Formats: sequence, structure tokens, C-alpha cells
Amino acid sequence: MSGGIALRGVDKRYGGIVVLAGASAVLDAGRAHLLTGPSGAGKTTLLRLVAGLERPDGGEVSLPSGARLAMTFQEDRLCENLTATANIRLPHAHLRGAALEAFLARERDALGAVGLPVDSRPVRELSGGQRRRVAILRAVLADADVLLFDEPLKGMDERTVERVMDFVCPLIAGKTVLWATHDPRERRFFPSPAQWEVRDGRILRT
Amino acid sequence: MWGVRLLAVCFWLLVWQLAAWAIDARIILVGPLEVLARLATLATTGEFWASAGISLGRIALGLVAGIVAGVALAAAASRVRVLRELLAPLVGALKAVPVASFVILVLLWVSSSSLSIVIAWIMAFPIIYANVLEGIEQTDPQLLEMADVFGVRPLDRLRLIYLSQVLPYFRVALSLALGLSWKAGIAAEVIGLPDLTIGEHLYDAKVYLDTPDLFAWTVAIVVVSVALEAIVGRALDAALARWEARP
Repeated sequence: MSGGIALRGVDKRYGGIVVLAGASAVLDAGRAHLLTGPSGAGKTTLLRLVAGLERPDGGEVSLPSGARLAMTFQEDRLCENLTATANIRLPHAHLRGAALEAFLARERDALGAVGLPVDSRPVRELSGGQRRRVAILRAVLADADVLLFDEPLKGMDERTVERVMDFVCPLIAGKTVLWATHDPRERRFFPSPAQWEVRDGRILRT
Repeated sequence: MWGVRLLAVCFWLLVWQLAAWAIDARIILVGPLEVLARLATLATTGEFWASAGISLGRIALGLVAGIVAGVALAAAASRVRVLRELLAPLVGALKAVPVASFVILVLLWVSSSSLSIVIAWIMAFPIIYANVLEGIEQTDPQLLEMADVFGVRPLDRLRLIYLSQVLPYFRVALSLALGLSWKAGIAAEVIGLPDLTIGEHLYDAKVYLDTPDLFAWTVAIVVVSVALEAIVGRALDAALARWEARP
């Protein structure tokens, strides 16, 4: 994949509420972009626009053609009656035979690395914190070019955060990452991130 | 819990037996002991098993056809709005029209031996269709969005997202359809009188005022119904648990 993500004069309203008004930004490919801003400023809306889940009311959002996406949402969005491994493998659910075995081994290593059990329980039996980690693994193991994270570490305790990010950081290095957060300390996970703030309907480089 | 349930059953069996002794007229009421004895005698005859097998086979055929049609049309109707609107009155009519009317009408169209197949289908189809459609409609839109973002392939989406959301609805519908098809199918046999079926024996019991036979066949019908529901329910639960536990 070459080329970054471009927003040109993007407007987005929900009913009478203006979320984005003429927002423009060019997000370079192959690096991490930290997206900050108060709750309700429009970080989630921005991610949804990039993911193609919303159409802008005005302006344009462009992604490199053929870019594969992965995302964590505000909610976990897991398939409740599938195991953690089956959930993580959803974007690769077509794998069979040796390729499937290889991916399964990768999944088991990943689960162990972030402190999750490898068992046959459906995810509905996991705790909230465990489910969150499954959702994060689904995104980072999806082999995507563009990864969108919507406050993925929210509510996670400090030790788990370190453990998860120790595993995640090497995997997403060199990819186009949009990382929305309300916690400026999360900057430390990225070597030289581009920092953006969503404020008053615009996206500002900070 | 089981102990209490068992005690309650024993209580009513006792009431039944006492009532039979008190009335002391076999033609009106036979006690559970006599029914059991009659059933035991019946069970030694080849005709009993042949009749039960033929009734069960035909009704099962109609039920399976109803399941296949219900699932297929629900899947199609969830995608094609026109089909859904078109089917709505038909499904409503199938649910609302009394089964006796259908039996008499269908007898004009097909032979009495095929009657219970058609009636079982008529019972099963609307239940399966309505529940599976409801399950598809209730599929979490947030999961579908997630699948869009990740580019999950259509077949995998069907297999892993839709199927897992629909299965609980299907499970309930199947349990309902099973009981209804079985009972309505037997009722149809009583009216259509195909040879060597449970319905025919029930009719004979009525004609010859053979109340012990009537009770014995009724017990057999209930036992088959309960056993079927338990077997199919457990098989489905086991399959579901195995499917959920896949790595």
C-alpha cells in the first residue's frame, strides 16, 4: 500500500449537531497518528468516516485503493458464541489445513502474550477486560494496512496496558495507525507519532 | 426439583386410578394400570411398531420439508423485501386457518397416505419461517459493521455471524414445530384414515368404543412426542456446544 489517508473539507452532522465542519488532514502512510480531543469532539466520527462506515455530508475522505482495514470499536463487537481464537480469526475465517494451523499457533501465542487463557469457552463467558483484549488482537492480527483504534485501552489497568502494548507495538510498527485516545500518556507507545487534535469540528496538527 | 415433579406426577396418576375405580366403567375411563397393561400388549405386536413407524416417517418427512422451505424462504425474504411482503399473508393464513379445515381441503388434493406429510409441512413451515426471519432481522448491526470493516467474506459472514445469531431462534422454532407437526399429523390421520397408521388405530378405538386402546395409543403418541423433543433438543444442543467450542 502506498499513499496516506486524506480528508478534504469534510463536513459531518448528526441531525442538528455539527461534528465536523471543513475538517482537512493528510495522514501519512506507514506511521502512527495519535488522535486526541475531549469526549464528543468527533474522534469516533472521524474513525468511522475513514473506515467507510459513514459518508461525509460534504468534502471527501480518500484511502489508498485496496487498503485492508482493521478496527477496534468503542464496543468489543465480538461474536458472543465463538471462542476467543475463532473471534480473532474472523477476518481469516477462510483459512484451512496447514495455513489454519499456522494461524492458530500465532493466535495462541498472542493470547498467552496478553495474558488471556487459551480454552474452548465462548467469549460471552470472558470478563469485560478479557473481551477487550480479544478485540484488540483481532485488529492487530488481521494483517491490515490501516489500523483504526478507538480508545482501545480505556478502563484497562496499568499492568495489563503494558503487557498488551509490549505485544501490540512491534506488530503495528510501520503500518498506518489511527489511535484515538483521551489519555496523552499513550503517546509513549509510539516512537514519533503524528499528533492530531479534533476540536471545534476540525482536525489540527499539534 | 425433580423429586417434587415426580411426586406431582404420582399424585395425578393416583387420582386417575382412584377415579377409574370409583366410576368403574371402562368405556368412560380406564385407569393407568390397565392402560399400561394394554400398551404392553400392543407393543408386542408388529402392527403397533409398523403403524408408529409409518406415522412417524411421514410426519418427519413433512417436518423436514417445512424446515428446509422455512429456512430457505426466510433467508431469501430477509434480502428481498418484495418476497417478504408477498409471503406475509400466506404465512398468516397458514397460521390462522384451523388444522381441521386444512385436513379436509388437502384430502381433496392428495391421497390419504400423503395427507400427514402435507399437514406436518403446513404446521412446521410458518413457525420456522417466522422465527428464522426474526433471528436474521435481529442480527446485531454492529457486528455486520465490524465484518464490513474487516472485509469478512460473504460465506464466513453467513457462517459465523448470521448463523450464530439465528441458531437460538431456530432452536425454539424447531421445538415448537416438532410438537405441533406430530400432533396435527396424527389428527389428520384420524380424519383421512390412511392404512396402518396411529390415526387409524385411534379411529378404530372410537368406532369400537375401545377406551383402553384409545388411552394406550394416546400414551404412545405422548411418549413419542416427549422422546423426539428430548432427542432432537439434546442433539441440537450438543452440536451447538461443539460448534461454539471450535478453536
